[in-house]
Amino acid sequence: MNRAIYDALETIYPAERILMRDAQLLPYESDALTAFNTKPGAVVIPLNEDEIIATVRLCHELDLPFVARGSGTSLSGGSLPIADGLVIGLNRLNRIKRLDPRQRIAVVEPGVVNLHISQAAQPYGLYYAPDPSSQSICTIGGNIAFNSGGAHCLKYGMTSNHVLGLKVVLADGAVTEFGGESLEGVGIGPDVIGLFIGSEGLFGIALEITVRLMPQPERYRTVLAAYDDLGCAGDAVSMVVASGLLPGAMEIMDRLAIKAAEASVNAGYPDAEALLIVELEGEAPQVEAEFEQLNGIIAESGAFETRVAQSEEERARIWKGRKSAFSAVGRLSPDYIVQDGVVPRSRLGEALLEINALKQNYGLDVANVFHAGDGNLHPLILYDGREPGALRKAEQLAGEILALCVALGGSITGEHGIGMEKRDYMPAMFSEEELDIMQALRRAIDPKEIANRGKMFPGGEAPALALQGMHPLEQQGVISRE
Amino acid sequence: MTANTLRGTSEIQDCVRSNERVHVVGNGSKSALHPQSGGAALADVSALSGIVEYQPSEYTVTVRAGTPVAEIAAALAEQGQYLPFDPLLPDCATIGGTVASNLSGSRRYRYGGLRDFILGAAVVDGAGRAFRVGGKVVKNSAGFDLSKFLVGSLGQYAIMTELTFKVFPDVPRFRSLSFRYEQLDAALDAIATISGSAYELDALDLLPPPPANKGEQAQGWALMARLGGFAETLPQRAERFVESVKRETATMEVRELDEADELWNPLAGLRGAAVVKVVLSPRQVPALDAAIKRSQRRYGVGGNVAWVATDDLAALERALLDAGLRGLCLLGAVERPIIGAPVERQLSARVKQVLDPQRKLV
Ligand SMILES: Cc1cc2nc3c(=O)[nH]c(=O)nc-3n(C[C@H](O)[C@H](O)[C@H](O)COP(=O)(O)OP(=O)(O)OC[C@H]3O[C@@H](n4cnc5c(N)ncnc54)[C@H](O)[C@@H]3O)c2cc1C
Repeated sequence: MNRAIYDALETIYPAERILMRDAQLLPYESDALTAFNTKPGAVVIPLNEDEIIATVRLCHELDLPFVARGSGTSLSGGSLPIADGLVIGLNRLNRIKRLDPRQRIAVVEPGVVNLHISQAAQPYGLYYAPDPSSQSICTIGGNIAFNSGGAHCLKYGMTSNHVLGLKVVLADGAVTEFGGESLEGVGIGPDVIGLFIGSEGLFGIALEITVRLMPQPERYRTVLAAYDDLGCAGDAVSMVVASGLLPGAMEIMDRLAIKAAEASVNAGYPDAEALLIVELEGEAPQVEAEFEQLNGIIAESGAFETRVAQSEEERARIWKGRKSAFSAVGRLSPDYIVQDGVVPRSRLGEALLEINALKQNYGLDVANVFHAGDGNLHPLILYDGREPGALRKAEQLAGEILALCVALGGSITGEHGIGMEKRDYMPAMFSEEELDIMQALRRAIDPKEIANRGKMFPGGEAPALALQGMHPLEQQGVISRE
Repeated sequence: MTANTLRGTSEIQDCVRSNERVHVVGNGSKSALHPQSGGAALADVSALSGIVEYQPSEYTVTVRAGTPVAEIAAALAEQGQYLPFDPLLPDCATIGGTVASNLSGSRRYRYGGLRDFILGAAVVDGAGRAFRVGGKVVKNSAGFDLSKFLVGSLGQYAIMTELTFKVFPDVPRFRSLSFRYEQLDAALDAIATISGSAYELDALDLLPPPPANKGEQAQGWALMARLGGFAETLPQRAERFVESVKRETATMEVRELDEADELWNPLAGLRGAAVVKVVLSPRQVPALDAAIKRSQRRYGVGGNVAWVATDDLAALERALLDAGLRGLCLLGAVERPIIGAPVERQLSARVKQVLDPQRKLV
């Protein structure tokens, strides 16, 4: 990073909030897609939105590429730095500015950790619904960039469905606000909130976010069903859907994922080829009636064992195993790729068979965890990075799985985004003209392409591929994923 | 004004390419959205109709933009499903017009509004290009989500030809109740209590007192609540709900309402030279209400929208500006459909520049 840039940054930040030494930069060199890493020119740590705005304007003026960074848990390389560019670390903007239980909204800064909103809302019987498994560390800013979801997004949607208002600085320094406190969000005029969410940091930086809070359901009924065949678990999901029930969550894990979860958090799962978790939520009388119906379906679906959480503690244990599945796989294998693809729900069975065949061809292990209710697959591809060519092979397999998702009429990402990882698969989903239009839109907002340069669109500078397992912050013991 | 009935994507492309100004219309059910369009060619897309693909097991439906909402609702109902955003004007609107004007009805209270259920679209933009935005599966985060941007876009960025929605299983049975409050404040307190509670209502609308005749006792505000679910659980749920509302709020009277056709049509009975949708939050209701006391009005979605009928649009606009609110005129002869606080321009102007550089779509 040259002197002129440093001097310019110094007009905004005191020296201790401009990180430039190698040791300081190390934790920022990659995100949770650890196969990629890049050294940024510098990291700045703003404390308020004015500093962010000034930084973005400076970057625009100096043609300096930047990446906004929340907690760096992106699984697609979204928060990977740009070589010699700037990382704008948003973790210190972690204030919940206002929580209004009467209107059931919270106004938060972008670095607020997802789970902290629910914790703050808890005394009022409210919570923030989108629940990525990384919710105890990932930030709302990152959630906005990827329209992140979680196990409980079947009924009430993903991040986009819970944001009512946004203040953002666009990549060329313009500051704009849309939406507000109404449940209607923007309501009149085009839904710019919906457009900004999921833009993967390419449009600019979210400065202030108004989210809606929901009343905690009165009753949960969490059922764990064990199958000796993965296909049966998938069929059970179709049966639940066909019955007209609308559960809050439906999740499946296969044998390898179960084994990993057991090894990691001792969830006490049965020994099975597949586990299905179905959770009903809502008013007690309604949930109890639905539960009766669900029991009938599960009984017919060929489950060899069914457990029902009898207490909040048991419910938490069932979910703990599921939510720790990604990081748990780290116990089974030195390295792994977390994949994210979507297939139409009715083709889940087909997709699983095909993935099974693929993994045998490649001689690699794949653990499957998925949001079965919306056909969102998370195959975890296990490999040993110390073996020459292993990463390449794993990536090839990941690519074939994505191609399969597209061929079945689905998507190359349900919630982790395109980032760095899936740039080259965009043409599988979009025509050249559609990509051109998206690019043109990006340039209309960011003529110099400084915001998250090199992400989302095919081509661009390829970063270094490295072979390491854990997130650098994890290696240092700064973060953990449980 | 030339009216063109367009039957397919290529005809729409031709229309856009060969005209300087184009104004899209579906069934024209919202008169205020079609002001004298200053020589623009009318692109009538109501013939672009029909269900393209409906897979009940996927919770998705893809339809042509000119399809009547009623036709979609009927097809879904056959499979026990519905559009949870509850399209407004279900008897006369097309689905494309409903998206363009972002008009969800009272039942959007339960699961969300139009923006929460749109998954993707096929469009023709102002440059005459035909392309797709969003996806066709219930979850997809690849690329920029221009499909959401179409919600509320009033045909000014691209012409929709096909739309994909997420759908949900519908509930078999309803119960509707009305709670009376003497003052608006008490009714708003009740809204806050009810919507923060674990009772899962399908709809929650607030009606102002009807104008009292001389010597008659004032009627008070009527808070209408609708429960939906299994027939066998509804009596118990309704009872618990009523008990809780009586206990926690200052209601003066509880009445069971007859599930008649018009009960949950927020525009029912609203008469005036113009009918306007106003977006607001419950906190903003008192100030607005004080300014529009003489208009017929209804507050929908737990106080998150107001439906207002007025003979004095200028006065309504002043009230909106004072309160920092925005309205969309649906019915009536108006100069421009959006009144009150200006809409966001920074980001939407960039989209316009890309999709409609010659500003053809008006
Ligand atoms: C163990 C594990 C489990 C996970 N489980 C899930 C899951 O269940 N569901 C799911 O959806 N994801 C999941 N993820 C992925 C990840 O946690 C999410 O993508 C999350 O939203 C990223 O948040 P972050 O704060 O870490 O963002 P970062 O990784 O720091 O950044 C992600 C992207 O957001 C951009 N960004 C950050 N802040 C802003 C801002 N204020 N404005 C604009 N752009 C910004 C960055 O530039 C980058 O492109 C998981 C990840 C891990 C490691």
